[in-house]
Amino acid sequence: MKRFSKAFLFYVLSTLIVVIWMIPFIVAFFTSFKTMDEIFMLRNFWSPPRNWTIENFKIAWTEGRMQRYFLNTFLVTSISVLATLFLSSLSAFALSWYNFKLKTVILVIFVAGMLIPFQMLLIPVYRFSLATGLYDSLMGVILFHVAFQIGFCTFFLRNFMVTIPTSLFEAAKIDGANPFVIYSKIIMPLVTPAVAALSILEFTWIWNDYLWSLILLQSDSKKTVTIGLTALQGQWISSWNVIAAGALLAAIVPVTVFLIFQRYFIEGLTLGSVKG
Amino acid sequence: MKKFLVICFAILTVFTALAKEKIVVNSYMSDPAPRKAFADLVKIFEEKYPDYEVVINTFAHEDFKTLLRTWLAAPKGTADVVTWFAGERMRYFAEMGLIAPLEEVFEGSRWENYFPTSFKSTCSYNDKIYFVPQSWYWWGVYYRKSVFEKFGIKEPKTWEEFLNVCETLKKNGISPIAIGTKFPWTAAGWFDILNLRINGLDYHINLTAGKVPYNDPKLLKVFEYWRQLIDKGYLLANHTSYEWQEGATFLFRGQAGMYYMGQFIKDVAPAEVKDDLDFFRFPVIDPSIPLYEETPIDGFMIPSNAPNKKGAVVFLKFIASKEAQEKFAKDLGRLAANVEVTPPDEHAKKGLEMVLASSGVAQFYDRDTNPEMAEVGMNAFIEFMQNPSKVTSILDKLEQERKRIYSK
Amino acid sequence: MKRDRLTPYLFVAAPLCMYSIWVIFPILQTIAVSFTKWDGMTKMKFVGLENFKRLVSDNYFGLSLLNNIKWMVGFVVLSIPVGLIFAMLMDQKFPGHKVYKSLIYLPMALSFVVIGQIWSWVLEPTGGVINTFFRFIGLEQFAKPWLSDPKIVTYSLIMAALWRQIPYAMILFLAGLKNVSKELVEAAIVDGATPAQRFWYVILPALKPAMVIAITVNIIDSLRAFDIVFVMTRGGPYYSSSVMANYMYVQAFHNYRMGYGASIAVVQFGITLGFIIMYLLNVLKREERE
Repeated sequence: MKRFSKAFLFYVLSTLIVVIWMIPFIVAFFTSFKTMDEIFMLRNFWSPPRNWTIENFKIAWTEGRMQRYFLNTFLVTSISVLATLFLSSLSAFALSWYNFKLKTVILVIFVAGMLIPFQMLLIPVYRFSLATGLYDSLMGVILFHVAFQIGFCTFFLRNFMVTIPTSLFEAAKIDGANPFVIYSKIIMPLVTPAVAALSILEFTWIWNDYLWSLILLQSDSKKTVTIGLTALQGQWISSWNVIAAGALLAAIVPVTVFLIFQRYFIEGLTLGSVKG
Repeated sequence: MKKFLVICFAILTVFTALAKEKIVVNSYMSDPAPRKAFADLVKIFEEKYPDYEVVINTFAHEDFKTLLRTWLAAPKGTADVVTWFAGERMRYFAEMGLIAPLEEVFEGSRWENYFPTSFKSTCSYNDKIYFVPQSWYWWGVYYRKSVFEKFGIKEPKTWEEFLNVCETLKKNGISPIAIGTKFPWTAAGWFDILNLRINGLDYHINLTAGKVPYNDPKLLKVFEYWRQLIDKGYLLANHTSYEWQEGATFLFRGQAGMYYMGQFIKDVAPAEVKDDLDFFRFPVIDPSIPLYEETPIDGFMIPSNAPNKKGAVVFLKFIASKEAQEKFAKDLGRLAANVEVTPPDEHAKKGLEMVLASSGVAQFYDRDTNPEMAEVGMNAFIEFMQNPSKVTSILDKLEQERKRIYSK
Repeated sequence: MKRDRLTPYLFVAAPLCMYSIWVIFPILQTIAVSFTKWDGMTKMKFVGLENFKRLVSDNYFGLSLLNNIKWMVGFVVLSIPVGLIFAMLMDQKFPGHKVYKSLIYLPMALSFVVIGQIWSWVLEPTGGVINTFFRFIGLEQFAKPWLSDPKIVTYSLIMAALWRQIPYAMILFLAGLKNVSKELVEAAIVDGATPAQRFWYVILPALKPAMVIAITVNIIDSLRAFDIVFVMTRGGPYYSSSVMANYMYVQAFHNYRMGYGASIAVVQFGITLGFIIMYLLNVLKREERE
C-alpha cells in the first residue's frame, strides 16, 4: 500500500513537472502550424491552430534559406568535433601517462581556459581572423571551435584515462611499443565510451553556437543555422509562425541527436562536470 | 569522410576561380518587401552587365548597424558596397577614411544631373561625395482611414486637436498611439518631431551637433509635451517589448490608432490594410515655428578596403541611374533620389508635397548625431518614457555624457 | 630515456599550439587592450588605468554587475534546490522515469537562440502564455510586461535560463545520488529515522561533492550569462537587464570602445577567476584523495 501511494505521488508530481516543462515547446509547436491570419488577428499562444498548415516550414526552409544553413552547420559541427577529439586525445594522453615538468601547469591552463568568459576572446579572435584571411570562411569558425574546445575535451579525456590501470601502460612500454602505438592501439580503444559521450556533448554545443558564427561569418551563403534563425527573426518579425517553424527546424537536429544518444550525453555531463 | 571533404573543397575552389567578377553588397534591407525589391534590381544589373556577379549578404537591421564598423575597420575588406544612411552617420566613417570618395561614379557627369543640389551636403564630407542616395522618404502620422471614419475623426492640425483625437480613440478602447521601442530609435522619431515643432530646425541642428546642453530649459519643454501623452496613457502599453514592426501590427489590426513612422511602414503592412493606411503631417504645436519635417535618405557607400572597387563603382553608377531609381521607388512606394524620377504613386506624391511645402528638413536623430551620443541619447528617451517624472535627472545625466563625448 | 622525456611534449605540442593561438594569446591581448583607448579603427592610445577608473563611476556597469549578482543568486537559490528535488523524484525508479527524465532534459539540447525566441512568446505581454494564464484564473494583477518592466525583466530572463540550468543541476545530483550508500539508508530506516532525517543526515552529506561542483558551475555560468540576454532583450529597456558580458559587447561592438569593453571583460574575468580557482582546487583535491 505504501509503495502504491508512493508511486501515485511520483506519477502525479512528475507529470505535473513535465507538463509545465513542456509548455514552451507546445507553444512553439502550435505557433509553427498556424496561418498568418490566425497569428495576425488572435495573438494567442495557447490554442492549437484552427487550420493546420505546413506553409511556414516551407517558407523558413526555402525563403529563410535554412537548407543552406543546415549544410554549413553540419560541415562546421562534424569537422570541429572530429578534429577537437583527435587533438585533445593527444594532449590528454600525455597529461595522464607521463610525468613531466610542465604537466600541472598545462593541465591548469586547459581547465581554466574552458571556464573563462568568452568575451575575453572576442576582440582578438575577430581581428586575428581578419588578419589571417580566416574571416568569413567556415574554416575560420571550425579552427576556432576546435581550439576553444580543446581545453574541455582534454580535461574530460584525461579524467577518464587516469582511471585506466597503469599496469597496462607499463607493460606495453616494457614490450618496447612506441608511444604512438600505445596511444592508438591500447589506450584509445579503452576510452571509446568517453569519446562517444564527449562527441555527443560537443556536437550539440557546436551546433548550437551563435556568437562565434555571428562574429566570424558575414556571407549569407556561409551562415549557420542559429544565425539563419536570427536573420529569420529580423526578417519576419511579426510573422511568429514562420519564426516558430524556423526555431523548430533549428532545434530538430540537436534534439534528435540528444534523444538517440541521451545516455552518452548525460554521462558526458556528469563526467565532465562542467560546460564549455 | 576526410577525403570526401577535401574533394568537395577542391571543387569549390575551382568553381570560385571560374566565376565572373564578383561584387559583394552587404545590405540591411531585411524586411521581405525591400529585400525582394533590391534582389530584383540586382537581377537587372546582372543582365545589363553580364561580366559581373553580385552577391547580396542581407543582415537584420540591428545586426547590420553593429557589424558595419567591423567590416570597414578590417585590414582586409570583405564587402565592395554597403547600404547606409546619409548625414552624420556617413561622415563619421568618411572622417576616419574608412569609406572611399565617389568621384568616379559621377565622372563625365555632375551630381546635379542625378540628384537634387539640396542632397549634396548630406552626402558629402569635406566637399567630396561619399554617398550615393537611392531613395528617401518622409515621416508622418500613419492611421487607418476606416478607423478614423468609424469614429468620425478628422486629421488633426494642431496639438489640441491631436490630443482630442487621442482622447476619442482611448474612450473607444483603442490605444491612441502605437510604438515599438525594443530598439530605441522609434522614440527618437518622437523626440525629433517634437523638438522641430517646438524649437525649430536651427536649434535641432545645433543640438544634434552637440552644441546645446541637454538640460537646456528649451529642451525640457519638448519632454513636457511628450509627457502629456505618456501621463494620459496614450502610448501603446508595454511598447518596450515590441520591435517597430510588432508595434505596427496593433495599428494594422485596428487596436491602435496612430503611428508616427517613416513611409517604410507600408513595407510591412498586410495587403488588405495597405490601401487603408494614410498619414497626416505631425500637428503644429507652436504656430510661430515654421514647419519642418524628417526626411531620411538611404543609399550606398564603398568601403576604403573594398576588394573590387572598380566593380563597386559600376554598380553604384547603375544604382544612381534613372532606370534603377525608378524601379526601386516604384516597388516600395518611396521617393527616388534621382531628379528625373517622379513620385511612383498618389501616396508618394502626397508625401513629396508635404516635404516641398515645409521650410526645412532634418535626417533623423541617430543620423544627425554622433553615434555614441545617439546610443545614450536614445536609451535615455526610453528611460524617460518609462519614468517621465525623472526627466530632470535623466537629462542631467545625458548632459554629462554630451560633455564627455564632445570634449574629445 | 632522453627521447622518453620528449614524448609528452610531442603529444601536447599541436593541441597546445592551437589553444595558445585562439585562447591564451587573445586573453593576454584583451588584458593589454584594456589599458588603451581604441575605437578599433584608428590608432590605439595607452591610457593606463583610466578605463577602470571610469568603470567605477559608470552607473550602467554597476547595474550590469548587480544583475550578474541577481543571476548568481537566482541560479544558486533556484537551480540547486529545484534540481535536487527533481533528482530525488526521478531517483525513485518507477517505470517510465526515463521518459520523464528525457523530457525534462530536452531544453539542454537547444540553442540559446531558440530558447530565447520560445520564451519571448511565453512572456509576451498581450497573448503570452503566462499572462493569458493569469487572466484566465482571474488574477489579472499578476499579468505583467515581463520583458519591458525594468524592475522585473532580469528575473524573467533568469527564469528562461533556468529552464536549461535546472536539468543540468539535476543531472549532477542524479550522478551524486548513485554514490549514496544503500546500506546506510537502509540502516537509517531500521533505526527509525524519518524521511526528513534520512535526507538531512544521510543523503545530503553524501551529496556534498556533487553539491560543491553544482554550485561552482552555476556561479561560473551565471557570471558568463550572455546569449539569453542578447537574444531576448539586448540588455534593454535602457540597460535595465544588461549583464557584464552584454555590456561589454555593447561597448566594444556597438559603441566601438574596444579599450573600455576590454576592461569590462577583464573585470568579469577577474571575478570569474576566483571561482575558477575554487573549482580547480576542488577538482585537484578530489583527485589526490582518490
